[in-house]
Formats: sequence, C-alpha cells, structure tokens
Amino acid sequence: MTARNSFQGAPASMIPSSSSSSSTAASGLALADAAPRQMDGPVMDYFLIEVVNVLADSSKFATSRVKKIEQEMIEAGLMSASPPVPAKKEKEKEKEYNVRDSTTSLTSQKGTVKAEPLTDEEEAQRLRLEAIGLHVGANICERLCRDRPLFTDTLDMIKFICKDLWVACWDKQVDNLRTNHRGVYVLQDNSFKPISRLSSWEGRADATKRARMYVAMPAGIIKGALSRLGIQGVVVPEISSLPQCTFQIKLPKGS
Amino acid sequence: MPPQLRLNAVAFISPQNHPILIRPFSQSKDEQLKYHYLAHTSLDVFEERVNSGTKATESYLGLLFSMENAAVYGYITPLKMKIVLALALSDVVVRDADITTIFRALHMAYYHSVANPFLKLHTALDTSGDHSALMLAGSPKWESFRRRVDEIGRAAGAQV
Repeated sequence: MTARNSFQGAPASMIPSSSSSSSTAASGLALADAAPRQMDGPVMDYFLIEVVNVLADSSKFATSRVKKIEQEMIEAGLMSASPPVPAKKEKEKEKEYNVRDSTTSLTSQKGTVKAEPLTDEEEAQRLRLEAIGLHVGANICERLCRDRPLFTDTLDMIKFICKDLWVACWDKQVDNLRTNHRGVYVLQDNSFKPISRLSSWEGRADATKRARMYVAMPAGIIKGALSRLGIQGVVVPEISSLPQCTFQIKLPKGS
Repeated sequence: MPPQLRLNAVAFISPQNHPILIRPFSQSKDEQLKYHYLAHTSLDVFEERVNSGTKATESYLGLLFSMENAAVYGYITPLKMKIVLALALSDVVVRDADITTIFRALHMAYYHSVANPFLKLHTALDTSGDHSALMLAGSPKWESFRRRVDEIGRAAGAQV
C-alpha cells in the first residue's frame, strides 16, 4: 500500500527472468531492492468500502445456511433446541459473547453512544474482516520492518505501529498515544481515513453505528501487526464521534 | 555478486526458533546434515549477541563464527526471524555490503512467500503468529519459496 496515489500498474517483475550464470551484482541488487508494486489510490479506498458490503452479504448467507442446518437437526431430534438468544440487549451482560461485553461496557461507560450489540451475522462479518486484517497487518509489518534497526522495547513497537504502519495504510500518523505503562495503550486518530467520508441519511447516530463495521478490518490490521511483532494483544476500536476513532490495545501482563 | 563467493547453505529460523528452511547448496549428500547442526549452533550465538549489550540495534550481525570450512554469517529481522548463511572459507575479502544484499534478498523471498494468503486458506482464521507449523519445509506448497531461495543462491554464485 505504499505510495498509493499513482496510476502505475504492477511494474516489471520482481525476479529477473532467466538470470544467466554470469550474473553480476546488479541482479542481486534487483532481488534485494525490488520496487514495491503500486496501485491506484482511490481504487484501494473503493475496494475497502466494498469489501465490507460484500462480506455482509456473504456472512448473511453463511449464517442462514448454518441456521437452516441447525433447524433441520432440531427437527430430526438430533439436537435439542437451544434457547433463543435475544438480539438486542441494553445493559445486561451476556457471558457467551465476549465482544458484546466489551462493546456494551466500554461505550456505555462513555455514555455517548447507546451501544447495540452486534447481531449474529454482523458478528460473523466482523470476525471475517478481522481475520483478513490479521493477515494483511502481519505482512505489512514484515515488509515495513525490512530496513529498520531492531526494536528496543514494547513501547518502541507501539510507536512503530503509530507511525510507520499508520502512514503506510492511512497516510497520516496517529494523533495521540496514551499509555498507563501497564500494558494498556490508547491510540487516538482525529480523522481516521476509512470512516472520514462516512455519512448516513438517517443521521449521525446511524452513521456511527455503521462505522463500526468499517473499523473491523483496521483493528485486525493492528492486531496482526502486533502478533507478528510477537505480542498477543487485544485491540478494541471505539468510535465516539465521526471521524474520530480510538483503538485500545491491551497487552498481556509482563510486556 | 562476485562469483568468488561460494555459498554453501542458507537457513531460515522462525521467531520461535523452529527451522523454516535449511537449504544446503553443496553436492554431497552427507554434508546436508552438517548444515542442520550449523543452524542449531548459530542459534546460541544469536541469543548471546541479542541479549548482551544495550546497543544491539543492527539487523546484520556479521560473522557469527567459523567452522572447519565454512564461515557463518547471521541476520536477524526486527520480527526476530533469523537467517543464517554459510560461506566457504577462502582468502577472498568478503564485503559486508554484498552479504547484506544477499540477506535482504532472502528476507524479501521469505516475505513474498509468507504473504500469500492462499497458503493458509484451510487453517483457522485467527492463528497466532507462529508459521512454523504451517511451514514444514518439505511440503509442496512452499515450492515457490524454495525456488526463490535457489534463485538468490544462483545469483550469489552457489552451484545449485
């Protein structure tokens, strides 16, 4: 995703074709320093927006398929009917869905947004987006770490994420980094790129609710980058007011 | 690469100290096990270099040690992945810049292979960062990785 705003297609191939046996230093350099492939900037933005919509349809289909199978099994008597899970809850904590816990508790403490926990389908969609983000984040991290010196400590790694990763993915740096020095970091971006242009004709609240799905993949990217760096952390995105977004990173004890 | 450099073997070791790929370039069969042993020995040197001293911020670790007929160079990425290069001992002056270029090309080859999402299609969605379980070096999926490493080896003057 580096240098996205250009119309260059994929440049010459990375590996020099048919290197002869008398290859010189030039071909070695070509392998080491091949220019990154580039892609049109706005195309990337459109693509990322569409990914969310496509996965919404796809996960709706997947969950309806699973529900149908469950229904068949119940009717055949193979499975006892599970108690129906209430779709919308206000302030009660439900132990099964941990993500619902975190969204309701965090945002209801803030008091700004009335949090509605995600439905089953939305949860499935969010998980898939996060899985994609995990893979992308890990590999971007691998690529960005090529020419830099080794990391000194965890704070250095978080700073690397705030600067290099954010610039590579979203063209700016994180605006505010806070930490309690005990493994919790809060990254605040005042104008987060994926949701900066998001609006809904139903009003601000609805736009904020829909934006949650669009930050699932960025949260996955951060989580993937962290896992490649060797830290297993939990990343929770929160949107209090568009286009501001904060990511809370919780690292396990001892790091 | 000046063809006087004779590359004997390349080894990739994951951040969890599992071997990813050990590729000897020599012809004889009985030498191949030697390079497994060599990669294992170099792990100790990596740990010692990384833990000692506060100013250990270079990726390229230079000459780790030399054995009977091989000089072993090491490189550690900020993500703790290690690459080990065994060169045949000779009187030719070996330039750091050349070796660093080889290491960077190897790192890129690893990155290109690991970035391929189709290789992990059928594993769990949220794996931890450990790839070595997926990366059993003999599996046919990693063919292109081995091909890339061979390519670099050829460019560096090894006889593949």
